[in-house]
Amino acid sequence: MSRPPLPRIGVFVCNCGTNIARTVDCEEIACAAMEWPGVVVARAYKYMCSDPGQEMIAEEVREKRLDRVVVAACSPRMHEPTFRRALASSGLNPYLLEMANIREQCSWVHDDPRAATDKALALARAAVARVVRHEPLEKRFVPMNPATLVLGGGIAGMTAALQLADAGQPVTIVERADRLGGNVARIDLTAPHLDSARELLLGRLARVSMHPMISVLLRAELEQLEGYQGNFTADVAVEGASRRLEIGSVVVCTGYKEFDAARVEGLGYGRLPDVITSFELELMLKRGRIEMADGRTPRTVALVHCVGSRSEEYHGYCSRVCCMTALKYGHEVKSALPGAAVVDLYIDMHAFGKGCEDFYRKTAEIKTLFLMYGKNAPPVIRPAGPKDDCNLLITLDEKLSGEEIEVPADLVVLMVGMEPREDAGRVAQLVNISRDKDGWFIESHPKLDPVATTTDGIYIAGACQSPKDIPDSVAQARAAAARILAKVAKGKIEVDAIFAEVDAARCSGCRICGTMCPYGAIEYDEEQKSSRVVEASCKACGCCAAACPSLAVRARHFTDEQIFAQIEGVL
Amino acid sequence: MNGDKLKIALYWGAACGGCDVAVLDTDEFVLELAAEADILFWPIAVDGKYEDIRALPDGALDATLFSGAVRNAENEDVAHLLREKSQVLIALGSCSAFGGIPGLANAVTREEILERVYLDNPSIELGNRTVPRTRVPVNGTELELPAFYPRVWRLSDVVDVDYLVPGCPPAPERVQEVLAALVSGTLPPRGAVVGAAEKALCEECRRRKADKRVARFVRPWEIVPDPESCLLEQGLPCAGPATRGGCGARCPDINQACRGCYGPPPGVQDQGATLVGAWASVIEAKTVEEAETAFAGLPDVLGIAHRFTLPASLLQRSCR
Amino acid sequence: MAFEPRIVGFLCNWCSYTGADLAGTSRIKYPPNVRVIRTMCSARIRPSFVLKALAEGADGVLICGCHPGDCHYSEGNYKTLRRQVLLKRLVAGYGIEPERVRLEWVSASEGQRFAEVVADMTERIRRLGPSRVEMLPSTRRAG
Repeated sequence: MSRPPLPRIGVFVCNCGTNIARTVDCEEIACAAMEWPGVVVARAYKYMCSDPGQEMIAEEVREKRLDRVVVAACSPRMHEPTFRRALASSGLNPYLLEMANIREQCSWVHDDPRAATDKALALARAAVARVVRHEPLEKRFVPMNPATLVLGGGIAGMTAALQLADAGQPVTIVERADRLGGNVARIDLTAPHLDSARELLLGRLARVSMHPMISVLLRAELEQLEGYQGNFTADVAVEGASRRLEIGSVVVCTGYKEFDAARVEGLGYGRLPDVITSFELELMLKRGRIEMADGRTPRTVALVHCVGSRSEEYHGYCSRVCCMTALKYGHEVKSALPGAAVVDLYIDMHAFGKGCEDFYRKTAEIKTLFLMYGKNAPPVIRPAGPKDDCNLLITLDEKLSGEEIEVPADLVVLMVGMEPREDAGRVAQLVNISRDKDGWFIESHPKLDPVATTTDGIYIAGACQSPKDIPDSVAQARAAAARILAKVAKGKIEVDAIFAEVDAARCSGCRICGTMCPYGAIEYDEEQKSSRVVEASCKACGCCAAACPSLAVRARHFTDEQIFAQIEGVL
Repeated sequence: MNGDKLKIALYWGAACGGCDVAVLDTDEFVLELAAEADILFWPIAVDGKYEDIRALPDGALDATLFSGAVRNAENEDVAHLLREKSQVLIALGSCSAFGGIPGLANAVTREEILERVYLDNPSIELGNRTVPRTRVPVNGTELELPAFYPRVWRLSDVVDVDYLVPGCPPAPERVQEVLAALVSGTLPPRGAVVGAAEKALCEECRRRKADKRVARFVRPWEIVPDPESCLLEQGLPCAGPATRGGCGARCPDINQACRGCYGPPPGVQDQGATLVGAWASVIEAKTVEEAETAFAGLPDVLGIAHRFTLPASLLQRSCR
Repeated sequence: MAFEPRIVGFLCNWCSYTGADLAGTSRIKYPPNVRVIRTMCSARIRPSFVLKALAEGADGVLICGCHPGDCHYSEGNYKTLRRQVLLKRLVAGYGIEPERVRLEWVSASEGQRFAEVVADMTERIRRLGPSRVEMLPSTRRAG
């Protein structure tokens, strides 16, 4: 075996003013480092990250023909980019740098100068041992296909599609049903402004169907998705025939389905014809007549909140839209049947959206009777007796009065919550994204990255991510489109230089790595009988490398040799 | 004796004799070998004494195939002797190459072994407290037994070894290949593993492989494995993924999980730790309890994962 | 001289290493016995790394990752947990106290917790005493 030429390493120890030097003897480290194999220069300096500090490093690299640099200073999370730039400016590949964290994880947390210096020595020694095994790495680029596949043609899907298409990029909407519009098409007015949902949709529907950049596939389903961000191939089944699409991104807008109210036994849904769901009331409202099963006009309409939501037995979460929808029904019932009484049975009134608190106040003004029931103690509904002057009787533990009361009603509307669609699991699997404990798709970061997912190139928008109203769905859809347009504008995708790679000469094709990757970045080549990593999809976690029993998977910049050297170095 | 003929020796240290049988299992070839080479020493098949070997000049043997691990002083003495007398020393079989089955004894101490075998064993005659000792005075003279070492060593731990031929036992066809190369002088440069493949066993295993998800590991007697699909996928702790190929996948072919006898694939230092990493990667547990349940079918992890390679492990037994 | 344990810490970049940095910026003091090696995810840690550390003379190995459900790489910490369970059994097979190999979840905001974990582990290993693995085979021939 030929021995590689001896490395020429420079070690630069930062005093960080007194931040490091107060506890760690930086001169001692520099002196000791001169004795370590491969080290040709070792210097301590007051502020390594300052311009003169960086210039010192660059100068030493040039003068002493250094091919490796160790900076013992703060956390690499702080200044690794800075020192990588310093290397690059001196003509050295930036990945030939290793940092030893002797500030955050040493001088700032230890009091005893001897112990802190010993630990700093060990960390610096490990960094030197590691950097010997560093390799120059280059960033790579893959092309970005500007076309997007939108899964689901509801309000979110149509919004995302229009935004992308208006920017001149091609979009295909795949919709399972035989029409666009999703759940919004099933409702009459929207809360809190009582605008027509139909008006919201019609303009969009017309634009989507006319738009030259949008093609709509109805009665269609995604069957398979392969590839990686910027370069996916989707197989879509359209009315039995299969169609192949080349796309760069996917926006999942598959929405929700309503909770099955029959599951809550005591509410009588399915048994009592005048207990209906919110969507059934919407249908009546759209037809223009609120009536009981026998055609009579109800004198009292009761609205029951949180059916299936915020309960231990069904769904723990709040479905977010039902409170305001129930208030909306109050208005709609009062306006259609001015003589009718409206009773609103709720757990807590969630009126958090813009204009919602005002809406709540206005609803109280139109004489809605609000009754409060407890979580996990839903009201019980039974048919009224012949002597009662009503159709149904609702029993509940009323929390404000603290009494068990009975409320007469002719028509009861159950505010059914949202739940993930039955096929959400299959969709998640197809596009390789995760679901939370309730079955909703998981975003990349709940606050900072709400529409991306853990798989690059796959975005989520609308109620498939969690229950949400129309404004939030639209905002997410536009955000997802904006994310995609930003990548399309660049034209190519930068792939970080740190990723895993498979040495086909070692890979036995055992396929243990296949299930390791959370991003589906590992593909198995049936012909070669070996696995390979799709660099553009890899995020460099290295769990495949840890699993590979043949050492065929190599985690660049975190190789076994580098980590073994570091282990020897710290001990 | 023909001066042009190769001179070779075969020896067994701590071994079962299976490697010798593998040489004999080359059938007629062993007769061809005898025609091409003088077998000067082969305790299992040819008459010969240590004295005969000691009498040879250094390097007089063209090659020695040493099977078995180094368990006692006799094994080590003969290893040194044969090293001196041989131009090429080949570690034949997993015991010699990695420690093998005898190497599992490194999981316990010498004292524990002597106690279990000679004192605590249910088949010991009542009251008999005889434990073998290195020196025993008998009728005014002293009898000597080879010292029983505190641990098992690989051959390469006590002498320089030129080639490793793994396998427990090595496949006869691979033994034949190595012997043929020895006779024809076509062995690769020293230091190589010969008579084996350059990839892990899965490469040559004929079973259908998919991405791996295993609900739990099973004991071999718990299931009748499907003959077509990957045994690891069926929950058997198959060592194939972290075992060098070359045997022809003999065990998977008869519906048995690979036991790992060919040792780690090229570049892999620690077969047991590697198997632990690989096996633990295929289960789906999300809590310690779920993981314990999934691993219930792996009762003796060290013994299963390091069945043939414990003396070659990165880590050795704790001294306490 | 009193026994000072040497502990190798493997910390994931996103949660635990950041948490350890936070302990620093918050000036929370803890014993200097843990020497940290950063990996992108705790699931990068091969069981061989842990055996290597023990064989090189570490008295303990501390692995820290993101809390379950919080992994930067979705589920890497579960993979770490699975390996850890089997690894501890492997280590016990060598006669080494499994407590010497410890897995902890430390988030990026838990600087205090990281300091407590280090202090607690150092104290426990101090009580266990030095790890005394047998000499490696390669050292036999040298001697």
